[in-house]
Amino acid sequence: MEKPFILHMLTTAKNLSPFDVNMALDAGWVSAIPYINVEPSEVRGLVQDAIFSRSPKSLKKTGIFIGGRDTKQALDMLKTAKNSMVPPFEVSVFADPSGAFTTAAGMVAAVENELQKNFNTTLEGKNVLALGGTGPVGQAAAVIAAQAGANVRIVGRQLEKAQRIADLCSNEFGEGAIQIMAGADADKAEFMKTADIVFATGAAGIELLSAELIASAPQLKVAADVNAVPPSGIAGLDAFHNGTPLPGSKSGAVGIGALAIGNVKYQAQNKLLKIMLDAEKPVYLHFTHAFEVARDFIKTKA
Amino acid sequence: MEKRSILHMLDPMPNNSPFDVNMALDAGFDVLIPYSNVKLDGVHGLTQDAIFSRGPNGVKRTGLFIGGRDIGLAIDMLSAAEQAMVPPFEISVFADPSGAFTTAAALVGCVEKELKTKHNLDLKDAKALVFGGTGPVGIATGVIASLEGADTVLVDHLSAETANDLAKEYNRRFKSNLKGACASSYEQKVELIADADIIFCTAKAGIQVISSKILSHAKALKVAGDVNAVPPTGIEGIKLNDFGKPMEYAPNASGVGALAVGNVKYQLQHLLLASMLTTDKPLFLDFRNAFAKAREIL
Repeated sequence: MEKPFILHMLTTAKNLSPFDVNMALDAGWVSAIPYINVEPSEVRGLVQDAIFSRSPKSLKKTGIFIGGRDTKQALDMLKTAKNSMVPPFEVSVFADPSGAFTTAAGMVAAVENELQKNFNTTLEGKNVLALGGTGPVGQAAAVIAAQAGANVRIVGRQLEKAQRIADLCSNEFGEGAIQIMAGADADKAEFMKTADIVFATGAAGIELLSAELIASAPQLKVAADVNAVPPSGIAGLDAFHNGTPLPGSKSGAVGIGALAIGNVKYQAQNKLLKIMLDAEKPVYLHFTHAFEVARDFIKTKA
Repeated sequence: MEKRSILHMLDPMPNNSPFDVNMALDAGFDVLIPYSNVKLDGVHGLTQDAIFSRGPNGVKRTGLFIGGRDIGLAIDMLSAAEQAMVPPFEISVFADPSGAFTTAAALVGCVEKELKTKHNLDLKDAKALVFGGTGPVGIATGVIASLEGADTVLVDHLSAETANDLAKEYNRRFKSNLKGACASSYEQKVELIADADIIFCTAKAGIQVISSKILSHAKALKVAGDVNAVPPTGIEGIKLNDFGKPMEYAPNASGVGALAVGNVKYQLQHLLLASMLTTDKPLFLDFRNAFAKAREIL
Protein backbone atom coordinates (compact mmCIF):
# COMPACT_ATOMS: atom_id res chain seq x y z
CA MET A 1 0.00 0.00 0.00
CA GLU A 2 1.21 3.50 -0.85
CA LYS A 3 1.93 5.53 2.27
CA PRO A 4 -0.13 8.72 2.45
CA PHE A 5 1.34 12.23 2.53
CA ILE A 6 1.12 13.51 6.11
CA LEU A 7 1.65 17.14 7.11
CA HIS A 8 2.02 17.74 10.86
CA MET A 9 0.88 21.34 11.38
CA LEU A 10 2.27 23.05 14.49
CA THR A 11 1.00 26.34 15.85
CA THR A 12 1.64 28.29 19.03
CA ALA A 13 -1.90 29.68 18.71
CA LYS A 14 -5.00 27.91 19.93
CA ASN A 15 -6.08 26.98 16.43
CA LEU A 16 -4.54 26.48 13.04
CA SER A 17 -5.46 28.92 10.33
CA PRO A 18 -8.11 27.29 8.10
CA PHE A 19 -6.40 29.15 5.25
CA ASP A 20 -3.25 27.06 5.74
CA VAL A 21 -5.25 23.84 6.16
CA ASN A 22 -7.02 24.38 2.81
CA MET A 23 -3.73 25.29 1.15
CA ALA A 24 -1.98 22.18 2.47
CA LEU A 25 -4.71 19.77 1.41
CA ASP A 26 -5.07 21.46 -2.00
CA ALA A 27 -1.32 21.19 -2.58
CA GLY A 28 -1.62 17.42 -2.32
CA TRP A 29 -1.08 16.57 1.34
CA VAL A 30 -3.53 13.78 2.15
CA SER A 31 -3.69 14.40 5.88
CA ALA A 32 -3.15 17.68 7.70
CA ILE A 33 -2.97 17.06 11.43
CA PRO A 34 -3.13 19.99 13.87
CA TYR A 35 -0.94 20.41 16.97
CA ILE A 36 -2.10 23.50 18.85
CA ASN A 37 -0.80 25.65 21.70
CA VAL A 38 2.64 24.23 20.95
CA GLU A 39 5.39 25.64 23.14
CA PRO A 40 8.69 26.21 21.31
CA SER A 41 10.25 23.84 23.87
CA GLU A 42 7.97 21.05 22.66
CA VAL A 43 9.11 21.24 19.04
CA ARG A 44 12.03 18.88 19.45
CA GLY A 45 9.89 16.13 20.99
CA LEU A 46 7.15 16.47 18.41
CA VAL A 47 9.61 16.42 15.52
CA GLN A 48 11.42 13.36 16.81
CA ASP A 49 8.12 11.58 17.39
CA ALA A 50 7.22 12.33 13.79
CA ILE A 51 10.48 11.11 12.25
CA PHE A 52 10.91 7.84 14.12
CA SER A 53 7.71 6.05 13.10
CA ARG A 54 8.31 6.01 9.35
CA SER A 55 11.11 4.67 7.21
CA PRO A 56 13.45 7.18 5.56
CA LYS A 57 11.60 6.45 2.32
CA SER A 58 8.17 7.23 3.80
CA LEU A 59 9.58 10.28 5.54
CA LYS A 60 9.76 11.85 2.08
CA LYS A 61 5.97 11.79 2.33
CA THR A 62 6.01 13.46 5.75
CA GLY A 63 6.31 17.16 6.48
CA ILE A 64 6.02 19.75 9.21
CA PHE A 65 4.36 23.16 8.88
CA ILE A 66 4.93 25.91 11.44
CA GLY A 67 2.24 28.55 11.82
CA GLY A 68 1.54 30.88 14.72
CA ARG A 69 1.70 34.65 14.75
CA ASP A 70 5.19 35.57 15.78
CA THR A 71 7.94 35.81 13.18
CA LYS A 72 10.88 35.28 15.50
CA GLN A 73 9.21 32.41 17.30
CA ALA A 74 8.37 30.68 14.02
CA LEU A 75 11.94 31.05 12.73
CA ASP A 76 13.30 29.75 16.03
CA MET A 77 10.95 26.78 15.85
CA LEU A 78 12.06 26.14 12.26
CA LYS A 79 15.68 26.14 13.45
CA THR A 80 14.88 23.81 16.36
CA ALA A 81 13.00 21.46 14.05
CA LYS A 82 15.93 21.35 11.64
CA ASN A 83 18.36 20.65 14.48
CA SER A 84 16.14 17.84 15.79
CA MET A 85 16.50 15.72 12.67
CA VAL A 86 18.52 12.51 12.93
CA PRO A 87 19.59 11.72 9.34
CA PRO A 88 18.42 9.67 7.51
CA PHE A 89 15.37 10.26 9.71
CA GLU A 90 14.53 13.76 8.56
CA VAL A 91 11.61 15.64 7.00
CA SER A 92 10.97 18.98 5.32
CA VAL A 93 9.75 21.92 7.39
CA PHE A 94 8.01 25.11 6.20
CA ALA A 95 7.42 28.13 8.43
CA ASP A 96 4.80 30.68 7.40
CA PRO A 97 3.43 32.36 10.54
CA SER A 98 0.09 34.08 9.80
CA GLY A 99 0.93 33.51 6.14
CA ALA A 100 3.21 36.50 6.62
CA PHE A 101 6.22 35.08 4.80
CA THR A 102 4.33 34.23 1.63
CA THR A 103 2.29 37.46 1.79
CA ALA A 104 5.43 39.56 2.15
CA ALA A 105 7.10 37.59 -0.63
CA GLY A 106 4.09 38.10 -2.90
CA MET A 107 4.07 41.83 -2.22
CA VAL A 108 7.79 42.40 -2.78
CA ALA A 109 7.82 40.27 -5.94
CA ALA A 110 4.84 42.20 -7.32
CA VAL A 111 6.53 45.52 -6.49
CA GLU A 112 9.74 44.41 -8.15
CA ASN A 113 7.79 43.46 -11.24
CA GLU A 114 6.10 46.89 -11.46
CA LEU A 115 9.44 48.64 -10.99
CA GLN A 116 10.83 46.70 -13.91
CA LYS A 117 7.78 47.19 -16.12
CA ASN A 118 7.14 50.89 -15.49
CA PHE A 119 10.51 52.27 -14.49
CA ASN A 120 12.94 49.76 -15.99
CA THR A 121 14.76 49.43 -12.69
CA THR A 122 15.23 47.06 -9.72
CA LEU A 123 14.98 47.17 -5.94
CA GLU A 124 18.72 47.81 -5.70
CA GLY A 125 19.36 51.13 -3.96
CA LYS A 126 15.68 52.12 -3.75
CA ASN A 127 14.28 53.79 -0.64
CA VAL A 128 11.50 51.67 0.81
CA LEU A 129 9.12 52.77 3.56
CA ALA A 130 7.39 49.92 5.36
CA LEU A 131 4.42 51.73 6.89
CA GLY A 132 2.76 49.88 9.74
CA GLY A 133 5.83 47.76 9.29
CA THR A 134 6.25 46.36 12.79
CA GLY A 135 3.91 43.39 12.23
CA PRO A 136 4.81 39.99 10.77
CA VAL A 137 4.18 40.94 7.12
CA GLY A 138 6.04 44.23 7.45
CA GLN A 139 9.01 42.54 9.07
CA ALA A 140 9.34 39.84 6.43
CA ALA A 141 8.80 42.34 3.56
CA ALA A 142 11.47 44.64 5.00
CA VAL A 143 14.00 41.83 5.20
CA ILE A 144 13.24 40.52 1.71
CA ALA A 145 13.52 44.00 0.17
CA ALA A 146 16.72 44.76 2.08
CA GLN A 147 18.23 41.47 0.95
CA ALA A 148 17.39 42.52 -2.61
CA GLY A 149 19.46 45.68 -2.09
CA ALA A 150 16.86 48.26 -1.06
CA ASN A 151 17.31 50.82 1.74
CA VAL A 152 14.41 49.94 4.00
CA ARG A 153 12.89 51.94 6.83
CA ILE A 154 10.28 50.39 9.12
CA VAL A 155 7.85 53.09 10.23
CA GLY A 156 5.59 52.69 13.23
CA ARG A 157 3.63 54.79 15.69
CA GLN A 158 6.34 54.52 18.32
CA LEU A 159 9.91 55.05 17.20
CA GLU A 160 11.24 52.88 20.00
CA LYS A 161 9.25 49.85 18.93
CA ALA A 162 10.05 50.44 15.25
CA GLN A 163 13.75 50.59 16.16
CA ARG A 164 13.54 47.36 18.13
CA ILE A 165 11.83 45.58 15.22
CA ALA A 166 14.29 47.04 12.70
CA ASP A 167 17.20 45.74 14.76
CA LEU A 168 15.56 42.31 15.04
CA CYS A 169 15.09 42.24 11.27
CA SER A 170 18.68 43.30 10.56
CA ASN A 171 20.42 41.12 13.11
CA GLU A 172 18.25 38.02 13.48
CA PHE A 173 16.31 37.57 10.26
CA GLY A 174 18.93 39.17 8.02
CA GLU A 175 21.75 37.60 10.04
CA GLY A 176 23.55 40.93 10.27
CA ALA A 177 24.06 41.21 6.52
CA ILE A 178 21.43 43.95 6.09
CA GLN A 179 20.80 47.25 7.84
CA ILE A 180 17.14 48.21 8.25
CA MET A 181 16.32 51.68 9.62
CA ALA A 182 13.45 52.81 11.78
CA GLY A 183 11.20 55.84 11.76
CA ALA A 184 8.17 57.31 13.51
CA ASP A 185 4.81 57.97 11.86
CA ALA A 186 5.16 61.61 12.82
CA ASP A 187 8.06 61.99 10.40
CA LYS A 188 6.30 60.35 7.46
CA ALA A 189 6.12 63.59 5.43
CA GLU A 190 9.87 63.94 5.63
CA PHE A 191 10.49 60.32 4.61
CA MET A 192 8.12 60.64 1.64
CA LYS A 193 10.42 63.24 0.05
CA THR A 194 12.91 60.48 -0.80
CA ALA A 195 10.70 57.38 -0.90
CA ASP A 196 10.68 55.26 -4.06
CA ILE A 197 8.46 52.51 -2.70
CA VAL A 198 5.82 52.25 0.02
CA PHE A 199 4.60 49.03 1.62
CA ALA A 200 1.43 49.41 3.67
CA THR A 201 1.22 46.50 6.07
CA GLY A 202 -0.69 47.99 8.98
CA ALA A 203 -3.89 46.81 10.61
CA ALA A 204 -6.98 46.66 8.40
CA GLY A 205 -9.02 49.85 8.14
CA ILE A 206 -6.27 52.35 8.95
CA GLU A 207 -5.11 54.82 6.27
CA LEU A 208 -1.31 54.93 6.47
CA LEU A 209 -0.65 57.08 3.43
CA SER A 210 -2.92 60.05 2.68
CA ALA A 211 -3.67 61.60 -0.72
CA GLU A 212 -1.75 64.66 0.45
CA LEU A 213 1.39 62.63 1.16
CA ILE A 214 1.10 60.86 -2.19
CA ALA A 215 0.92 64.18 -3.97
CA SER A 216 3.94 65.44 -2.07
CA ALA A 217 6.20 62.53 -3.01
CA PRO A 218 8.59 63.55 -5.79
CA GLN A 219 10.04 60.12 -6.63
CA LEU A 220 7.41 57.59 -5.54
CA LYS A 221 7.29 54.71 -8.01
CA VAL A 222 5.29 51.85 -6.52
CA ALA A 223 2.89 51.67 -3.57
CA ALA A 224 1.57 48.33 -2.33
CA ASP A 225 -1.13 47.63 0.23
CA VAL A 226 -1.93 44.24 1.79
CA ASN A 227 -5.14 45.41 3.38
CA ALA A 228 -8.23 44.14 1.53
CA VAL A 229 -10.74 45.75 3.88
CA PRO A 230 -11.84 49.34 3.04
CA PRO A 231 -10.70 51.96 3.75
CA SER A 232 -7.42 50.91 2.17
CA GLY A 233 -4.07 51.65 3.75
CA ILE A 234 -3.11 53.91 0.86
CA ALA A 235 -5.50 56.65 -0.28
CA GLY A 236 -7.04 55.98 -3.69
CA LEU A 237 -5.64 52.46 -3.97
CA ASP A 238 -8.15 49.65 -4.03
CA ALA A 239 -7.79 45.91 -3.59
CA PHE A 240 -8.13 45.24 -7.35
CA HIS A 241 -5.32 47.57 -8.43
CA ASN A 242 -2.51 45.76 -10.15
CA GLY A 243 0.01 48.16 -11.59
CA THR A 244 -2.72 50.77 -11.85
CA PRO A 245 -1.67 54.48 -11.84
CA LEU A 246 -1.94 55.75 -8.27
CA PRO A 247 -4.50 58.59 -8.16
CA GLY A 248 -2.86 61.92 -7.37
CA SER A 249 0.73 60.81 -7.80
CA LYS A 250 2.83 63.47 -9.53
CA SER A 251 5.74 61.08 -10.07
CA GLY A 252 3.70 58.53 -12.05
CA ALA A 253 3.59 55.93 -9.29
CA VAL A 254 1.56 52.74 -9.71
CA GLY A 255 -0.41 50.90 -7.07
CA ILE A 256 -0.73 47.21 -6.17
CA GLY A 257 -3.73 46.12 -4.12
CA ALA A 258 -4.40 43.25 -1.76
CA LEU A 259 -5.98 40.93 -4.32
CA ALA A 260 -3.06 41.16 -6.73
CA ILE A 261 -0.66 40.49 -3.85
CA GLY A 262 -2.93 37.73 -2.55
CA ASN A 263 -2.76 35.95 -5.88
CA VAL A 264 1.04 35.83 -5.84
CA LYS A 265 0.99 34.86 -2.16
CA TYR A 266 -1.37 32.00 -2.92
CA GLN A 267 0.87 30.74 -5.72
CA ALA A 268 3.98 31.00 -3.55
CA GLN A 269 2.46 29.11 -0.63
CA ASN A 270 1.05 26.45 -2.95
CA LYS A 271 4.43 26.06 -4.64
CA LEU A 272 6.36 25.70 -1.37
CA LEU A 273 3.90 23.13 -0.05
CA LYS A 274 4.38 21.21 -3.31
CA ILE A 275 8.18 21.50 -3.14
CA MET A 276 7.97 19.71 0.23
CA LEU A 277 5.97 16.89 -1.39
CA ASP A 278 8.49 16.36 -4.15
CA ALA A 279 11.77 17.04 -2.37
CA GLU A 280 14.30 14.21 -2.48
CA LYS A 281 16.33 15.86 0.30
CA PRO A 282 14.54 17.64 3.14
CA VAL A 283 14.04 21.39 2.67
CA TYR A 284 13.65 24.07 5.35
CA LEU A 285 11.54 26.87 3.97
CA HIS A 286 10.90 30.46 5.07
CA PHE A 287 10.54 33.95 3.59
CA THR A 288 13.65 33.72 1.42
CA HIS A 289 12.30 30.65 -0.37
CA ALA A 290 8.87 32.24 -0.57
CA PHE A 291 10.40 35.21 -2.39
CA GLU A 292 12.23 32.94 -4.84
CA VAL A 293 9.07 31.10 -5.85
CA ALA A 294 7.01 34.32 -5.96
CA ARG A 295 9.56 35.81 -8.38
CA ASP A 296 9.49 32.64 -10.49
CA PHE A 297 5.72 32.74 -10.64
CA ILE A 298 5.68 36.34 -11.83
CA LYS A 299 8.36 35.61 -14.42
CA THR A 300 6.49 32.65 -15.89
CA LYS A 301 3.28 34.68 -15.99
CA ALA A 302 4.95 37.54 -17.87
CA MET B 1 -19.23 4.69 -2.12
CA GLU B 2 -17.57 2.85 0.71
CA LYS B 3 -17.35 5.06 3.74
CA ARG B 4 -13.88 6.27 4.56
CA SER B 5 -12.33 4.82 7.69
CA ILE B 6 -12.08 7.28 10.55
CA LEU B 7 -9.90 7.09 13.65
CA HIS B 8 -10.88 9.41 16.47
CA MET B 9 -7.70 9.98 18.48
CA LEU B 10 -8.44 10.90 22.09
CA ASP B 11 -5.65 12.31 24.17
CA PRO B 12 -5.65 13.73 27.70
CA MET B 13 -2.60 15.79 26.69
CA PRO B 14 -2.68 19.07 24.75
CA ASN B 15 -1.62 17.25 21.58
CA ASN B 16 -1.50 13.79 20.02
CA SER B 17 1.81 12.11 19.38
CA PRO B 18 2.95 12.53 15.77
CA PHE B 19 4.37 9.02 16.11
CA ASP B 20 0.88 7.57 16.57
CA VAL B 21 -0.51 9.79 13.81
CA ASN B 22 1.96 8.38 11.30
CA MET B 23 1.33 4.84 12.53
CA ALA B 24 -2.46 5.15 12.24
CA LEU B 25 -2.40 6.60 8.73
CA ASP B 26 0.17 4.05 7.60
CA ALA B 27 -2.03 1.25 8.98
CA GLY B 28 -4.73 2.34 6.55
CA PHE B 29 -7.04 4.76 8.33
CA ASP B 30 -8.25 7.31 5.80
CA VAL B 31 -9.06 10.14 8.16
CA LEU B 32 -7.59 10.97 11.52
CA ILE B 33 -9.19 13.41 13.90
CA PRO B 34 -7.40 14.60 17.04
CA TYR B 35 -9.25 15.35 20.27
CA SER B 36 -6.95 16.96 22.81
CA ASN B 37 -7.21 17.68 26.54
CA VAL B 38 -9.83 14.92 26.84
CA LYS B 39 -10.86 14.12 30.39
CA LEU B 40 -12.01 10.72 31.61
CA ASP B 41 -15.55 11.95 32.13
CA GLY B 42 -15.65 13.18 28.53
CA VAL B 43 -14.97 9.75 27.03
CA HIS B 44 -18.53 8.42 27.37
CA GLY B 45 -20.01 11.32 25.41
CA LEU B 46 -17.32 11.34 22.73
CA THR B 47 -17.67 7.59 22.22
CA GLN B 48 -21.45 7.73 21.86
CA ASP B 49 -21.16 10.67 19.52
CA ALA B 50 -18.81 8.59 17.40
CA ILE B 51 -20.99 5.48 17.22
CA PHE B 52 -24.39 6.98 16.48
CA SER B 53 -23.70 8.85 13.25
CA ARG B 54 -22.61 6.07 10.87
CA GLY B 55 -24.99 3.11 11.14
CA PRO B 56 -23.88 -0.40 12.16
CA ASN B 57 -21.95 -0.84 8.90
CA GLY B 58 -20.25 2.51 9.10
CA VAL B 59 -19.08 1.86 12.63
CA LYS B 60 -16.89 -0.96 11.30
CA ARG B 61 -14.99 1.77 9.51
CA THR B 62 -14.68 3.79 12.73
CA GLY B 63 -12.19 3.45 15.56
CA LEU B 64 -11.03 5.12 18.73
CA PHE B 65 -7.42 5.51 19.81
CA ILE B 66 -6.44 6.52 23.34
CA GLY B 67 -3.05 8.12 23.90
CA GLY B 68 -1.58 10.25 26.67
CA ARG B 69 1.18 9.61 29.17
CA ASP B 70 -0.64 7.98 32.06
CA ILE B 71 -1.29 4.27 31.60
CA GLY B 72 -3.80 4.03 34.46
CA LEU B 73 -5.84 6.84 32.96
CA ALA B 74 -5.61 5.26 29.50
CA ILE B 75 -6.97 1.98 30.85
CA ASP B 76 -9.79 3.85 32.59
CA MET B 77 -10.58 5.68 29.35
CA LEU B 78 -10.53 2.40 27.44
CA SER B 79 -13.04 0.83 29.80
CA ALA B 80 -15.20 3.98 29.81
CA ALA B 81 -15.29 3.78 26.00
CA GLU B 82 -16.15 0.10 26.08
CA GLN B 83 -19.00 0.72 28.52
CA ALA B 84 -20.35 3.49 26.32
CA MET B 85 -21.00 1.14 23.39
CA VAL B 86 -24.62 0.37 22.49
CA PRO B 87 -24.55 -2.81 20.35
CA PRO B 88 -24.84 -2.99 17.39
CA PHE B 89 -23.47 0.52 17.57
CA GLU B 90 -19.98 -0.31 18.72
CA ILE B 91 -16.46 0.36 17.52
CA SER B 92 -12.95 -0.85 18.24
CA VAL B 93 -10.82 0.97 20.78
CA PHE B 94 -7.04 0.79 21.17
CA ALA B 95 -5.15 2.29 24.10
CA ASP B 96 -1.40 2.80 23.74
CA PRO B 97 -0.38 5.77 25.90
CA SER B 98 3.10 7.02 24.91
CA GLY B 99 3.37 3.79 22.93
CA ALA B 100 4.03 2.20 26.33
CA PHE B 101 1.80 -0.82 25.84
CA THR B 102 3.27 -1.88 22.53
CA THR B 103 6.83 -1.09 23.69
CA ALA B 104 6.41 -3.09 26.90
CA ALA B 105 4.75 -5.97 25.05
CA ALA B 106 7.61 -6.06 22.56
CA LEU B 107 10.23 -5.93 25.32
CA VAL B 108 8.72 -8.73 27.40
CA GLY B 109 8.00 -10.77 24.27
CA CYS B 110 11.61 -10.56 23.07
CA VAL B 111 13.00 -11.37 26.51
CA GLU B 112 10.61 -14.29 26.97
CA LYS B 113 11.70 -15.73 23.64
CA GLU B 114 15.38 -15.59 24.62
CA LEU B 115 14.64 -17.06 28.03
CA LYS B 116 12.90 -20.00 26.45
CA THR B 117 15.22 -20.70 23.53
CA LYS B 118 18.56 -20.09 25.30
CA HIS B 119 17.77 -21.14 28.85
CA ASN B 120 14.64 -23.26 28.51
CA LEU B 121 13.02 -21.19 31.23
CA ASP B 122 9.53 -19.68 31.48
CA LEU B 123 8.70 -16.27 32.87
CA LYS B 124 6.84 -17.90 35.75
CA ASP B 125 10.10 -19.44 36.97
CA ALA B 126 12.11 -16.24 36.73
CA LYS B 127 12.89 -13.25 38.88
CA ALA B 128 12.71 -9.98 36.97
CA LEU B 129 13.84 -6.45 37.78
CA VAL B 130 12.41 -3.46 35.94
CA PHE B 131 14.80 -0.50 36.15
CA GLY B 132 13.07 2.77 35.32
CA GLY B 133 10.11 0.77 36.55
CA THR B 134 7.94 3.71 37.58
CA GLY B 135 7.52 5.26 34.12
CA PRO B 136 4.78 4.25 31.66
CA VAL B 137 6.85 1.64 29.79
CA GLY B 138 8.31 0.28 33.04
CA ILE B 139 4.96 -0.19 34.73
CA ALA B 140 3.43 -1.86 31.68
CA THR B 141 6.51 -4.10 31.38
CA GLY B 142 6.23 -5.04 35.05
CA VAL B 143 2.52 -5.79 34.84
CA ILE B 144 2.91 -8.00 31.76
CA ALA B 145 5.83 -9.93 33.30
CA SER B 146 4.04 -10.31 36.61
CA LEU B 147 0.82 -11.52 35.00
CA GLU B 148 2.92 -14.17 33.26
CA GLY B 149 4.08 -15.32 36.68
CA ALA B 150 7.51 -13.74 36.93
CA ASP B 151 8.57 -12.56 40.39
CA THR B 152 8.75 -8.92 39.31
CA VAL B 153 10.14 -5.84 41.05
CA LEU B 154 9.56 -2.27 39.86
CA VAL B 155 12.74 -0.36 40.63
CA ASP B 156 12.70 3.42 41.07
CA HIS B 157 15.97 5.36 41.09
CA LEU B 158 14.88 7.74 43.85
CA SER B 159 12.22 6.36 46.12
CA ALA B 160 11.12 2.96 47.38
CA GLU B 161 7.85 4.53 48.42
CA THR B 162 7.03 5.59 44.85
CA ALA B 163 7.84 2.12 43.58
CA ASN B 164 5.81 0.40 46.32
CA ASP B 165 2.82 2.69 45.85
CA LEU B 166 2.76 2.11 42.10
CA ALA B 167 3.20 -1.64 42.55
CA LYS B 168 0.23 -1.69 44.91
CA GLU B 169 -1.89 0.49 42.67
CA TYR B 170 -1.31 -1.63 39.58
CA ASN B 171 -1.63 -4.92 41.49
CA ARG B 172 -5.07 -3.79 42.57
CA ARG B 173 -5.97 -2.78 39.05
CA PHE B 174 -4.69 -5.83 37.14
CA LYS B 175 -4.38 -8.50 39.86
CA SER B 176 -0.65 -8.64 39.29
CA ASN B 177 1.96 -9.36 41.95
CA LEU B 178 4.43 -6.53 41.62
CA LYS B 179 6.87 -5.47 44.30
CA GLY B 180 8.67 -2.17 44.59
CA ALA B 181 12.28 -1.28 45.35
CA CYS B 182 14.67 1.63 45.20
CA ALA B 183 18.14 1.54 43.66
CA SER B 184 19.86 4.87 43.66
CA SER B 185 23.38 3.70 44.59
CA TYR B 186 25.84 1.24 43.17
CA GLU B 187 25.49 -0.93 46.31
CA GLN B 188 21.71 -1.05 46.06
CA LYS B 189 21.88 -2.09 42.41
CA VAL B 190 24.45 -4.81 43.15
CA GLU B 191 22.31 -6.20 45.95
CA LEU B 192 19.13 -6.27 43.87
CA ILE B 193 20.78 -7.75 40.84
CA ALA B 194 22.47 -10.70 42.57
CA ASP B 195 19.67 -13.22 42.06
CA ALA B 196 17.83 -11.67 39.10
CA ASP B 197 17.20 -13.85 36.05
CA ILE B 198 15.94 -10.96 33.96
CA ILE B 199 16.74 -7.26 33.78
CA PHE B 200 14.41 -4.94 31.93
CA CYS B 201 15.74 -1.45 31.47
CA THR B 202 13.07 1.15 30.71
CA ALA B 203 14.77 4.16 32.23
CA LYS B 204 15.10 7.59 30.63
CA ALA B 205 16.89 7.83 27.30
CA GLY B 206 20.62 8.54 27.42
CA ILE B 207 21.21 7.32 30.97
CA GLN B 208 23.31 4.26 31.76
CA VAL B 209 21.65 2.47 34.66
CA ILE B 210 23.60 -0.79 34.71
CA SER B 211 27.36 -0.60 34.21
CA SER B 212 29.73 -3.43 33.37
CA LYS B 213 30.90 -3.40 36.99
CA ILE B 214 27.37 -3.94 38.27
CA LEU B 215 26.82 -6.68 35.69
CA SER B 216 29.78 -8.63 37.11
CA HIS B 217 27.59 -9.24 40.18
CA ALA B 218 24.65 -10.55 38.17
CA LYS B 219 25.43 -14.22 38.76
CA ALA B 220 21.96 -15.51 37.87
CA LEU B 221 21.29 -13.23 34.90
CA LYS B 222 19.92 -14.96 31.82
CA VAL B 223 18.38 -12.22 29.65
CA ALA B 224 18.53 -8.43 29.70
CA GLY B 225 16.50 -6.08 27.50
CA ASP B 226 16.93 -2.33 27.04
CA VAL B 227 14.58 0.17 25.36
CA ASN B 228 16.91 3.15 25.44
CA ALA B 229 18.22 3.90 21.95
CA VAL B 230 20.07 7.10 22.83
CA PRO B 231 23.72 6.58 23.82
CA PRO B 232 24.82 5.70 26.39
CA THR B 233 22.33 2.82 26.41
CA GLY B 234 20.77 1.72 29.70
CA ILE B 235 22.74 -1.51 30.09
CA GLU B 236 26.42 -1.35 29.22
CA GLY B 237 27.47 -3.63 26.41
CA ILE B 238 24.09 -4.28 24.78
CA LYS B 239 24.13 -3.00 21.22
CA LEU B 240 21.03 -1.44 19.66
CA ASN B 241 20.45 -4.30 17.23
CA ASP B 242 21.36 -7.17 19.55
CA PHE B 243 18.74 -9.87 19.75
CA GLY B 244 20.05 -12.75 21.81
CA LYS B 245 23.76 -12.05 21.54
CA PRO B 246 25.85 -13.04 24.59
CA MET B 247 26.27 -9.91 26.68
CA GLU B 248 29.72 -8.36 26.59
CA TYR B 249 29.93 -8.02 30.38
CA ALA B 250 27.74 -11.00 31.33
CA PRO B 251 28.63 -13.68 28.77
CA ASN B 252 26.23 -16.26 30.21
CA ALA B 253 23.29 -13.98 29.54
CA SER B 254 21.81 -12.77 26.26
CA GLY B 255 20.97 -9.19 25.47
CA VAL B 256 18.14 -7.55 23.56
CA GLY B 257 18.80 -4.01 22.31
CA ALA B 258 16.48 -1.05 21.78
CA LEU B 259 16.20 -1.30 18.00
CA ALA B 260 15.37 -5.00 18.19
CA VAL B 261 12.59 -4.15 20.65
CA GLY B 262 11.57 -1.12 18.60
CA ASN B 263 11.22 -3.21 15.48
CA VAL B 264 8.79 -5.57 17.22
CA LYS B 265 6.96 -2.63 18.83
CA TYR B 266 6.47 -1.04 15.42
CA GLN B 267 5.01 -4.24 14.01
CA LEU B 268 2.71 -4.68 17.01
CA GLN B 269 1.31 -1.18 16.82
CA HIS B 270 0.86 -1.51 13.07
CA LEU B 271 -0.89 -4.89 13.30
CA LEU B 272 -3.18 -3.82 16.13
CA LEU B 273 -4.20 -0.65 14.29
CA ALA B 274 -4.75 -2.62 11.09
CA SER B 275 -6.79 -5.25 12.96
CA MET B 276 -9.27 -2.52 13.93
CA LEU B 277 -10.02 -2.06 10.24
CA THR B 278 -10.55 -5.72 9.39
CA THR B 279 -12.36 -7.03 12.44
CA ASP B 280 -16.03 -8.02 12.34
CA LYS B 281 -16.50 -7.69 16.07
CA PRO B 282 -15.25 -4.63 17.93
CA LEU B 283 -11.87 -5.01 19.60
CA PHE B 284 -10.77 -3.41 22.87
CA LEU B 285 -7.01 -3.45 22.81
CA ASP B 286 -4.50 -2.82 25.58
CA PHE B 287 -1.12 -4.22 26.66
CA ARG B 288 -2.55 -7.73 27.04
CA ASN B 289 -3.55 -7.86 23.38
CA ALA B 290 -0.23 -6.32 22.44
CA PHE B 291 1.62 -9.03 24.36
CA ALA B 292 -0.49 -11.81 22.81
CA LYS B 293 0.32 -10.39 19.38
CA ALA B 294 4.00 -10.16 20.30
CA ARG B 295 4.07 -13.87 21.13
CA GLU B 296 2.33 -14.61 17.86
CA ILE B 297 4.83 -12.77 15.66
CA LEU B 298 7.89 -13.88 17.63
